[in-house]
Amino acid sequence: MSIEVKNLIKKFDEKTVINDISFKVNDGEILAIVGFSGSGKSTVLKLICGLIPYDSGEVITSDGDIAMVFQYSALFDSLNVADNISFALHERKDLRKKYKENEIRDIVSQKLELVGLKGIENKFPSELSGGMQKRVSFARAIVTNPNTILYDEPTAGLDPMSSTLIEDYIVSLKHEINAASIVVTHQMSTITRTADRVIMLYDGKIVFEGTPEELLKQETPYTKQFVTASLEGPMQMQA
Amino acid sequence: MITLRKYLKQSATYKVFSHFLIEFANFLDTLGKIAQMGMHVFKSICKGEIRKKELLVQCDRFGVSSLPITLSIVGMTSIIVASQVAHEMVKQGGGNFVGLLMTMLIVREVGAIMSGFAITSMIGSSLASELATMRVTEQVDAIDVLNVDSVSYLFVPRVLSGAIMMPFVVILASVVGVILGAVTADMFGGLPYRAYFDSAWLGLYMKDLGVCLLKAMTFGATIALISCTCGYFASGGAKGVGLATNKAVVWSFIAIVILDMVFAVLFFF
Repeated sequence: MSIEVKNLIKKFDEKTVINDISFKVNDGEILAIVGFSGSGKSTVLKLICGLIPYDSGEVITSDGDIAMVFQYSALFDSLNVADNISFALHERKDLRKKYKENEIRDIVSQKLELVGLKGIENKFPSELSGGMQKRVSFARAIVTNPNTILYDEPTAGLDPMSSTLIEDYIVSLKHEINAASIVVTHQMSTITRTADRVIMLYDGKIVFEGTPEELLKQETPYTKQFVTASLEGPMQMQA
Repeated sequence: MITLRKYLKQSATYKVFSHFLIEFANFLDTLGKIAQMGMHVFKSICKGEIRKKELLVQCDRFGVSSLPITLSIVGMTSIIVASQVAHEMVKQGGGNFVGLLMTMLIVREVGAIMSGFAITSMIGSSLASELATMRVTEQVDAIDVLNVDSVSYLFVPRVLSGAIMMPFVVILASVVGVILGAVTADMFGGLPYRAYFDSAWLGLYMKDLGVCLLKAMTFGATIALISCTCGYFASGGAKGVGLATNKAVVWSFIAIVILDMVFAVLFFF
């Protein structure tokens, strides 16, 4: 077991955004969290990595780092690609003195090679395309060899080919570092190409849990509405 | 039938009062955040968490980039004051004290306070908008997720550079102010440079210089701390960045005036 979420509840003011959800993700497994916009998907990721505190429940992770790939990459625009990737190695208290500069350079090259972007160490984020920025943010996330990786809408806003490339990297990273991964998405291609299991959130609750194949079978009103992108069904978009 | 409670809720007085309470709560919230961040920065500095490379970058930004506007504002203020008082004082027979008046005014007040305003508008606003942009584009979250202390990483070099560079800026601005005062007194009041500089040092003590430097250090650190705090807690996209920048400038201006008053009471009362 790498991540276990138990009875998690989060309220913003009076509104319950996450309402008593529980799930597990094992090492080397990819869980997709799907749902319409505003269903609380990204909030779950932020609760797991501690960016926002939860009101009650429990998040149990095995020892090691949690990494997150942000929706809009969140690269540091004042630093070049190499400095972005090596940020944790230079700035984290426990890693600062662990590596020499030449070792850090090697790690950066190795991680860049892993995401198919060799030789762009000196470029700045503004000089890269959206897809390249996303891949650099992958490299930054995995620089400490985390055992948990959280992806917040990794293919949002990308063209279909870049999306496929990113999806392939998510799967290859799973094999490479055997991390437990959670992918928040609402893109069907990302779900079917990357996920081992899927949970669907609506109104802060889990309304479906199963495999991508079970999702596509549309056996419940929720899965049917999600897959067909219908406005008719149990899930109502907020105006 | 409308109840008294409903009637009160609909009344303009209630709305004004509730708006006042919300603003007061926001004021206390901001004050608390500034104090909290200040404590965090202090602890980080005590632990030696100072990134020298970033500190140098911020020192350059605080001290060098801000110089043209700071020198202009302090210099022009000196010209305005000297042009108003030199002619009149020479006419009334007090020409020998123009230098004394100008030096005291610049070293004790104008140099630090005008530099503070200039630095706030130039550097404080840019610090706030920089951190606010990092917040709304999730760069601050990325720092936290990478297990790096974002407050220490972002605040310490900026606040320290403010405390280190502001005294240099104020000294330079004060020297320029005193010299421009002499030039103006000569042009508008016909006061010879010698007469101006002979009296310039009469009312100036080491205490004045010490207080001036301490004040400059405090202003620099405060401007950076307030600006970073306002930016760090920004939310809500482009509008949030604008609001954070606006808040940083307003709070810094108020803080400069209040701190100046505290210094005046503590050291010259």
